[in-house]
Amino acid sequence: MESLQNIKRRAKSVKNIGQITKAMELVAATKMRRSQEIALASRPYAFASLDFLANLARLHQNYGGQARLGDIEIPPLLQKREIRKTALVLVTSDKGLAGSFNSAVIRDFEKFLKQEKTLSPNPSTLNPVFISVGQKAANYLQKRFTLAHKFLRAGDFTTIEEVKPIAELLVSGYLEKKWDSVIVFSTHFRSALRQEPLRRVALPVDFESIKKTAEEIIPQTGRFSEFKQSSVISHQSSVDYLIEPSPEAVLNELVPHLVTMQIYHLILEANASEHAARRLAMKNASDNADDLGSKLNLEYNKSRQASITREIIEITSGVESLR
Amino acid sequence: MKLSVYSLKKVLFDGDAESVNCQTTSGEITILNNHRPLISGLKKGTIEIIDKEKKEHYIPVSAGFLEVSSGSRIKLIVEA
Repeated sequence: MESLQNIKRRAKSVKNIGQITKAMELVAATKMRRSQEIALASRPYAFASLDFLANLARLHQNYGGQARLGDIEIPPLLQKREIRKTALVLVTSDKGLAGSFNSAVIRDFEKFLKQEKTLSPNPSTLNPVFISVGQKAANYLQKRFTLAHKFLRAGDFTTIEEVKPIAELLVSGYLEKKWDSVIVFSTHFRSALRQEPLRRVALPVDFESIKKTAEEIIPQTGRFSEFKQSSVISHQSSVDYLIEPSPEAVLNELVPHLVTMQIYHLILEANASEHAARRLAMKNASDNADDLGSKLNLEYNKSRQASITREIIEITSGVESLR
Repeated sequence: MKLSVYSLKKVLFDGDAESVNCQTTSGEITILNNHRPLISGLKKGTIEIIDKEKKEHYIPVSAGFLEVSSGSRIKLIVEA
């Protein structure tokens, strides 16, 4: 049996760690809620802008009485072109201690790379450009590949100001033909207890993909899931809109906004997932600390009792021998 | 008319309004009831809303979009 002092020291450090993890759990829980709230606050904007896009797309087809897209120049961001290079954006957290949050995204990322390799034996077809969001992704990508761009401090609650440079880089790279497609690897927040890796094509802009992102910001269960029903994309018959200055001009302005918004949502969702994952990890840790603490306490009491018994035996046997 | 002003951070205005004045890419306009359907971009400037109680609201914007749909429904998405 261990000495009393040793056990006492261990129990104390376990208790300390338990306190820290407990605090981290609470902090993560509040942060998770906040980031969900922020994400939800931007939903009306998302739906309104999707509505815009839908209306403009309809008008596209009706303009000039001709149902041909060829008449109007579609902004390049909406055009699909042959994919020669793909930008892969890996979204993770800056800090660790978030359970399997980062490793899940990275595992999914590796799976994707493997899949691409088997699908196209010629490795030059994918031609990936790697972009990281978050310190952990940067560390991982730097070790294995050449990292093209890295963004840090998107963690906690991202803001539009922080997302802007990322979105701008993705858009300008696309326009300058540095890449022909952008795939974002991030985490989908299903509920406070469940997050899963998510792959989403951010560019070229795809209406369905943006709609999905905006809708999926609502968790499937738990708090805020009651918002689920309130999908608000209207499908009114095409009204005769007056468009100033021209559909192309408005569309050209609108599309970069949509990209920014989508990236913003993806990162916010990753933020919420990060906090949820951390909360769970810290909850497990503090539960374990509690268990360990009570075990050590028991051991301490037993050991104390044993030493008392031993001393009494020594005394009584001493007395016995003196008689 | 029903007016909603959305930014990415929050809903800036949602309710009935008398008139909206804003700077579009093709000039300053004021929208009153029963305006014809319109889609336009917004320039940097201030949106001036007069609500049902004749109270004025000012919202500064750096960019955004304006949609007036039939039935006096106005949606603005703006960047603060």
